[in-house]
Amino acid sequence: MEQFIHDLIGNDLLATIVWCVLPLVFILGYAIVAILAEMKSASWFQDRLGPMRTGPWGIFQPFADVLKLLMKEDIVPARADKILFNLAPVIVFVGAYAAFAVLPFASEYVGADLNLGLFYLIAVSSFGVLGIIMGGWASNNKYSLLGAMRSAAQIVSYEVPSATALLIVAMMVGSLNLQDIITAQSGGFWNWFILGGPKSDVVLASGAVIHADIGNFVFLPLLLATFVIYYLSALAETNRTPFDIPEGESELVGGYHTEYSGMKFGMFFMAEYANMFLVSAVAAVVFFGGWQSPWGITLGEALDIPVLTLLEGVFWTAAKGFFFVFVMMWLRWTLPRLRVDQLMYMCWKVLIPASFALALVVGFIVVIR
Amino acid sequence: MELTDIIFYIFALVTIGSAMIVVFSRNLVYSAFSLMFTFLGVAGLYVLLLADFLAVTQLMIYVGGILVLMIFGVMLTHRVVNVEISSGAMRVIPATIVVGVFLGTLLLVLTRTKWMVMEGSPDVIGTTSMIGTALVTDYLLPFEVSGVVLLVAIVAAAFMARKR
Amino acid sequence: MNEIIQSSLSLLWPELTLTVTFILTLFSQFALRKAPMHSGYVALAGFLLAFLLLGTQGGSDASVFGVMLAVDPFAVFFKYLIIISGILVLGFSLQSEEIRNNAEHAGEYFAFLTSMTLGMFLMAGASNLLMMYLSIELVSLSSYVLSGYLRNVERSNEAALKYVIFGAVSSGLMLYGISLIYGLTGALDIYSMRDVLATGAVMPGSWAFATLVAAVILIIGGFGYKISAVPFHYWTPDVYEGAPITITAYLSVASKAAGFAIMIRFFKVAFLNTVSADGAWEVLAGMNWELIIAVISVLTMTLGNLVALWQDNLKRMLAYSSIAHAGYMLMGLVVATDNGIAAIMVYFVMYLIMNLGAFYVVMVVAQKTGSEDIDDYRGLAYRAPWVAGAMAIFLVSLTGLPPTAGFIGKLWIFAAVLSKPGFVWLAIIGVINSVISLYYYARVFRNMYLRQGDEEKAQPILFGSRTIAGSLIFAVPTIVFGLYFGPILEWAKNSVTLFLR
Repeated sequence: MEQFIHDLIGNDLLATIVWCVLPLVFILGYAIVAILAEMKSASWFQDRLGPMRTGPWGIFQPFADVLKLLMKEDIVPARADKILFNLAPVIVFVGAYAAFAVLPFASEYVGADLNLGLFYLIAVSSFGVLGIIMGGWASNNKYSLLGAMRSAAQIVSYEVPSATALLIVAMMVGSLNLQDIITAQSGGFWNWFILGGPKSDVVLASGAVIHADIGNFVFLPLLLATFVIYYLSALAETNRTPFDIPEGESELVGGYHTEYSGMKFGMFFMAEYANMFLVSAVAAVVFFGGWQSPWGITLGEALDIPVLTLLEGVFWTAAKGFFFVFVMMWLRWTLPRLRVDQLMYMCWKVLIPASFALALVVGFIVVIR
Repeated sequence: MELTDIIFYIFALVTIGSAMIVVFSRNLVYSAFSLMFTFLGVAGLYVLLLADFLAVTQLMIYVGGILVLMIFGVMLTHRVVNVEISSGAMRVIPATIVVGVFLGTLLLVLTRTKWMVMEGSPDVIGTTSMIGTALVTDYLLPFEVSGVVLLVAIVAAAFMARKR
Repeated sequence: MNEIIQSSLSLLWPELTLTVTFILTLFSQFALRKAPMHSGYVALAGFLLAFLLLGTQGGSDASVFGVMLAVDPFAVFFKYLIIISGILVLGFSLQSEEIRNNAEHAGEYFAFLTSMTLGMFLMAGASNLLMMYLSIELVSLSSYVLSGYLRNVERSNEAALKYVIFGAVSSGLMLYGISLIYGLTGALDIYSMRDVLATGAVMPGSWAFATLVAAVILIIGGFGYKISAVPFHYWTPDVYEGAPITITAYLSVASKAAGFAIMIRFFKVAFLNTVSADGAWEVLAGMNWELIIAVISVLTMTLGNLVALWQDNLKRMLAYSSIAHAGYMLMGLVVATDNGIAAIMVYFVMYLIMNLGAFYVVMVVAQKTGSEDIDDYRGLAYRAPWVAGAMAIFLVSLTGLPPTAGFIGKLWIFAAVLSKPGFVWLAIIGVINSVISLYYYARVFRNMYLRQGDEEKAQPILFGSRTIAGSLIFAVPTIVFGLYFGPILEWAKNSVTLFLR
């Protein structure tokens, strides 16, 4: 894929830039769709129509929203810390965007095929916290600061169970490379880690072999629980309901971005949506086979058309990712918000011990099998 | 100058520049935030040294963990309670002399000493599995002992933080 | 690899026991909500078991997990010292009212005491710079919390904070030194480090040599902090004064013993060429670090003794006195012979008994009178003759006068120093210091015996038979070992063997 772009453009530097900007295009497009989806799903869950005026069936509503954000006056509060106030949204977005570098969209399309992909992803996703704290502090507004504090405490806490859950799968694969994790699940949906992982031996690109001599059915309940832990922590890490305490508008006006307006708010907004897709895509990659199709065969390979294989991969990644984003919206209108103490209880006394126990059990089985 | 050289100088500049801000800024919050860039620069240098695992660990532990805690501490004591804590300068002249002598010594030591050069293999791709193997073979005892140290630390922290 | 791990583990029974004890003690507090002090018995059982299991390490001269941790007679000797003082301090703690009054968290208290002991066991054997750092850190972390255990006492909090800050600085120094040494020799274990130095890679007069000296001084910073040698002693008086007396006693004896063990091992192994038949070390060319240690030794004992003169708080005075004792013991390392090391070890046995005894008396008296002031010891001999008598014995012994244990300890140290040509001045300074120390020890003595207390402080203080028995446990050996010390001497001489690859 990278080679293809290089050939297409010819100039090395330009090609690299295009290569780096590609995910941004994707995020922009996805954000537009997601905004509409959020509004529409919200209204359906509440038995109303949602936006209907802008364009047919309200389809241009997100465009109008984006335009509004772009044209709005960019207000910096007088007592705010100018430098940090302006820097914060950038850092939050950079944190979200940096993670896209290792996200495999297809077998041939991954920004950087790192051996440490999963670990890098976990590390980089903690980066946005700093931006959030920075914004909350620089706004010089007590609601912003409180929101930022809550958000940071929440993200830092929930990173532990989510990372542990991901490492459980990494332990089974024996690699932190995301492509390896996907390869391990090839062959059909029954080989996905959500259903216990590969049922027959798999050879990775590095030559390592994942053995499946016990059929891996024992892992099914364990990995199901692991997925639940991961997804719950992912909800909390992206500040989504029922864990949206940092932005609880009934208590905090708007959380850490209370004072932000215009495009700076837009960047926070984009980062949040990008993060939503990111954690969903990671769930897809780690537990649901990533770019693999559910039945294990691709039309592109069958017909020997590489481009089609590529598109299929992107389609499956996006489809699985969108599904989990949709589940997030669904949960938003289903569950009430947790209290702060319930949130912390959930993390430290439920998810973390459970994830450690799972890691122990799975690790033990992996060693003795 | 090759591309890696340019990248090295960029990272070095980021590291040193932000470290200067950490030290010289009067505003503690600025210091804390610019520490982030220092850590990032160091992580970049690790990558250039092919220590990929170390680089990501640096991000994970320092940026994602320690720095967040530090900023938490600074902010909780700074604006919320309205205690003015800025790092002022005291006894500038003696400090300058001491630091100058120390810096000179360090520079001399660094540049003049004949350091032991270890054999490395530049074609190593990924150090993770090597580190993992070393941790459970040659360095098993320190690995386990650090587990005990961390357990003591976490119990100690909980003990100190508990309500009286 | 599995065989190495198994054979290594089979040599580590005491350490494993302590690790398990740590966890058990920590969890025992959930079962013992009603009687939290009983966690102490869990820890005591573990300590006794570890003491017994130390026998399995006797006679082995090996290193486990590669060359991470040496299990040799030298380490075992210090482990015995540590575990014996650990058991005694546990006994103190079970009697201590300071701890009883804060018994809510007694489980943690005893757990940290265990982890600290584990760390000191590891320090006694650590032969890899990484292990040295980790074990020192394990001891430090535990002792930070323990010295701040009395959370509603301001000076206890102050002690913990000061301890943490000084501790952080000194481990920073030590780590920097370790990194320089790694850069020079490419080795973390001290055996390979010696091998590299023996090849002459670091020639005296070169820049690398200057770097090595700097690195060694930085590492001494880490060790010196544990044994509270000047100029790394600043934390000592405040921490000793603020911490619970039990912890002060433990810090002053066991923690110091572990610090000496690690320091001796580092210097002997890393710079040693051969040991001649009469036990003198032949040091690698140019590695004459004796002078550095001699200077530290002189500074340490002189400062400790001089400042102790002005102290009115007995705990604080004993803190400075313990600094001074570290200075005396460092003289044994200056000698750089096996005899010198044996002298340090003998000194430590004596120091353990007399110092723990002195702290025990301070503790029981403070529990009855509520004061640690030297002035409040006036007339103690008439109010509590047994306890005062015991204290008098400890003070005589700490000064180093015959016929007590302290005299024997000092005698061997000075004999060792005098056997080294060119270091007579060091012995003279040591003797002068002993004379100075007589003044402040005698002051307590004078207060107890030659002065009358105020009217309201004239009533006899009634101590239980347990307390009197407790002080006799220390007082009797202090006299006995002063007259009959042959076995201790033999034991120390047989234990100077360090594992040398």
